Amino acid sequence: MNYTIDNNSINILKNISFEVDYKETISIVGESGSGKTSLIMLIGGLEKISAGNIFFKDSEISNMTEDEISEIRRKNIGIVFQSFYLIPNYTALENVSLSLEINKLDNATQKAKEILDRFGLSNRFNNLPSQLSGGEQQRVAIARSVVMKPELILADEPTGNLDSENTENISNLLFNYIKDENASLIMVTHDNNLANLTKRKITIKDGVISENQ
Amino acid sequence: MKINDLSLYSKFAFRDLIRSYSKILSIIITLLISLFILSAILTIEDSLENELNENSKVLLGGDLEIDYNNREGDSNLIKQIENISTVSQVVEFSTMISTIEKKPNKTSFTRIKAIDQNYPLYGDVIFEPVGSLKKLNEIDNTILVNENIFKNLNLKINDIVKVQNKKFKVIGVVKVLPDIGGAFVFGDFALTGKKTLDKLELNTLGSFLNYEYKIKFDDYKNKDKKINEIKKIFKNNDKVKIQYPENSAGGIKRIIDNFSQFLSLVSISAMLIAGIGIANTLLSFINQKNSSIAVQKAIGINSGNIKTIYYLQLLFSLIFISLVAYGLSFFLVPVVDKYISDGLGLNIEASFSLTNLFIVFVVGLLVIIIFSIPTVNSIDQIKASSLFRNVFQSLQFKYSKLSISLSLLLLTILVSLFASRSSIPTYSLIYFASFFICLAVFFYVSRFIILLLRKNLLNLGISSKIAIKNITQSKSITPITVMSLGLGMTLLLTLAFVGSNFKREIAKSIPEIAPDYFFLGIQNNQKNLFKKIIIDSDKEAVMEIVPMVSAGLVKINGIDPNTYISDSNDSYWVIMNDRRVSWVNTIPKDNPILEGSWWDTSKPNKLQISLDSKVAKDFGVNIGDKFTLRIYGREIEGEVVNFRLVNYQDLSINFAMLLNPQFAENIPHEYLSTIKFKNIKSFNEVNFLDKFPSVSIIKISDYLSKVTDVLNKVFIAVSILSAVTVIIGLVVISSAIIVQGKIKIFQNLVFKILGFSKKEIIMSSIIEFIISFLSIIFFSTIFAVLASKFIIENIFQLKWLFEINIFFYVTIGVGVVTLALIIITNFRYLSPKVYPLVRNE
Repeated sequence: MNYTIDNNSINILKNISFEVDYKETISIVGESGSGKTSLIMLIGGLEKISAGNIFFKDSEISNMTEDEISEIRRKNIGIVFQSFYLIPNYTALENVSLSLEINKLDNATQKAKEILDRFGLSNRFNNLPSQLSGGEQQRVAIARSVVMKPELILADEPTGNLDSENTENISNLLFNYIKDENASLIMVTHDNNLANLTKRKITIKDGVISENQ
Repeated sequence: MKINDLSLYSKFAFRDLIRSYSKILSIIITLLISLFILSAILTIEDSLENELNENSKVLLGGDLEIDYNNREGDSNLIKQIENISTVSQVVEFSTMISTIEKKPNKTSFTRIKAIDQNYPLYGDVIFEPVGSLKKLNEIDNTILVNENIFKNLNLKINDIVKVQNKKFKVIGVVKVLPDIGGAFVFGDFALTGKKTLDKLELNTLGSFLNYEYKIKFDDYKNKDKKINEIKKIFKNNDKVKIQYPENSAGGIKRIIDNFSQFLSLVSISAMLIAGIGIANTLLSFINQKNSSIAVQKAIGINSGNIKTIYYLQLLFSLIFISLVAYGLSFFLVPVVDKYISDGLGLNIEASFSLTNLFIVFVVGLLVIIIFSIPTVNSIDQIKASSLFRNVFQSLQFKYSKLSISLSLLLLTILVSLFASRSSIPTYSLIYFASFFICLAVFFYVSRFIILLLRKNLLNLGISSKIAIKNITQSKSITPITVMSLGLGMTLLLTLAFVGSNFKREIAKSIPEIAPDYFFLGIQNNQKNLFKKIIIDSDKEAVMEIVPMVSAGLVKINGIDPNTYISDSNDSYWVIMNDRRVSWVNTIPKDNPILEGSWWDTSKPNKLQISLDSKVAKDFGVNIGDKFTLRIYGREIEGEVVNFRLVNYQDLSINFAMLLNPQFAENIPHEYLSTIKFKNIKSFNEVNFLDKFPSVSIIKISDYLSKVTDVLNKVFIAVSILSAVTVIIGLVVISSAIIVQGKIKIFQNLVFKILGFSKKEIIMSSIIEFIISFLSIIFFSTIFAVLASKFIIENIFQLKWLFEINIFFYVTIGVGVVTLALIIITNFRYLSPKVYPLVRNE
């Protein structure tokens, strides 16, 4: 696949092609501006590719409308951001239960409590994001992204805004969860230690895959 | 969208709204104010109409009224009615009341109601002292006068006054009459007994007496049967008019209808101005929610559903605001009740109307949707991918062919809704067209200012440069300021110009050209003496004296005139009762003929009629059409031969209908005269009435002062309401500044770091305001001058002048308030804390 912006004047990604297996964990590394984040945006259906195809299981998401992609993302893809992006006027519990509620699942609040409890936030249910530490905010954000038990988790520098202690906690949390729930992970990171935890590492340089091992 | 989806998104919307309502406070305030005004107008109008409908029998004075006009009723027929109901005879006439024991003595033109012991059949007469009403029919030559006469003539109970050369004892004061459906709205009035009337021998009043027979059914359940019986009694008597309660107080209803229509248009203007603020504040609100919306998109909520959440928030707010606005309007009813009950004797109470609540809600919904479509559509611009970059683009209004079409469709519905409720839809449509033209002009004015200032032609100080930069920046509030304040200013200035011109004309110009007195009921044999006495008083007095007779227009081209005109038409008065007609040999100099020719003297035996051109137009009458007039009970057919342009505003002698003198001078008649004295003090009303007791005098200055009083009240109400449009404009501007808040804080922080003083920053705000405000004044004044000139010269047909004082009062007043508001709103951004900003917190 290819990805260009500004009316084809800038080629962000060129001839990118790879597959992600079921339960596989992949890290995407590379220098700033190499196209790592663009790649997971495209995989998550948040941007449109310029040429080529992207398949999620048997469905080609690159041809889908925004609503169709939203439907897939809602049920099957969880996204973790570097800056957490919790909804500021929602409590931790409400941020997590939001995904369950829009999928009209029963006992949304109970399920959200269970996942927050699992992530060690049982005493933070009713706190607003502004009342949480950075590490806690990211745990809530991960809880939100995995509460629907998605088959694929996309993470963009999930520990980029955290100190070393929180980095370790968050990475343990994320990888344990993925292992327990049999999900796949595609993670963009600059952190070699974190990248080494994944099964495969893809290096991108100037918009092309330079290494895939 | 499925029902359970809607329920889910409603839950999200409700939660968001509860937690974020403070961020859309300006939307809530502006909507609340404008919907409150609309609610108040609808509630008051409804309450008044309910009062009029519920009390229609009271206002008419009975279950039915038999109007014999200027003849006494047929006693045989009246007896037949008395067999099946209670009858009260009321005779009304206008005459003079004068004091005879005071120094100096005074006179008052009064409408007197001569009543019998059965009066009133419905409602209550409020009077004092106790028992005085009953005494009217027990003691001859007694009278109850209204409070105004009592005060102006400096009367005391048991004082003696003179009416038609007979002495009357004032035995009390009447405050309120129940049957005000007739002529007792603004003038002075008095009550006397029926027996006293008989003794007055008012033959000279002739056609100016009005005989009414009020009827009350003893058994109201069989009212339809009784009405049919009464109709049968008068089957062969087409000279009487049967009045029903539902037709009572038609004049008041028309005034209420016209006034409320006008106020409704002002309120919708306020709402449309509020709409500009709604669009702006909502855009800012969505901008603040940029990352939350991106998160919602990232977790799979599509753009359409997110928009639904925002529309639902607006809907919930609107439901709440509509209920509050409508509820608050009930508190205004007692205020209005106090305001009008003195004059009209009406006692209004607020009554709930689901229809009105629905109208308030629908109008609010239409305005919200029209202005929020491009704003809420901006949600499409938010990308979940922004969350990866941590860069959020500032949102812009998003227009598409579909959204523009939808907005236009909804706007058309809104305009149609108001136009359809108006008795004259054309006026509403003209108003809306003018409003949108002004809106467009103010928008382009703001763009022009920005373009002009971008040229950077001026070499100014630093404060001016900052001001210009603020005006020309992409997020400038100049367009919003110019549009919202411009529209409010235009409306306020227009009404102020109309009001001031109107008052000036009434207070000064009309008295200059109008006669000082009207003299009614001068008999044929009194004419010469009358002239002599006037000339003896003042040799230079300008006198006009014309014959006059009362005539009813009973048929047009052989059919009922009601088929030619609706009772809501301005010219309906011509057929409502008998009208006074006159005749002259030559064309009146201020009544030019617009169509047809003057009298055909070769046909002296044929009745020819000259008609007011406006009346002719409203009735759809053509030259050559036949009018049947009833004069002294005799029906005479005449031909309409010409149309005249009649200007009633000069208060000189004007008649809707003039007759050819060769035919009319054989009809028994009286004279009407107007006099303009060179030296008004030379005329003594009391001495005059000694010589002419049956003649009625109307002093124009008294009449004008009453009109001025009423107009003052009307203009106060209208000005307060139109000032609300300015207030809403100010809220819109204030919210626009707050929307800019973050940019302002950063800007002021940079200024602070660079060493700018607060004074320079405040000065830049003042300069920014002055640039916008000068252009607002310029264009508002042009629009207000055009609109007020049109209204004064074409609708009221008065002289228009540019009232410089009013212009300065309004512009300086609004300018000072706006500037103060801008400075206060900006003040909070003047001292930004450096630390949180440099840490990007």
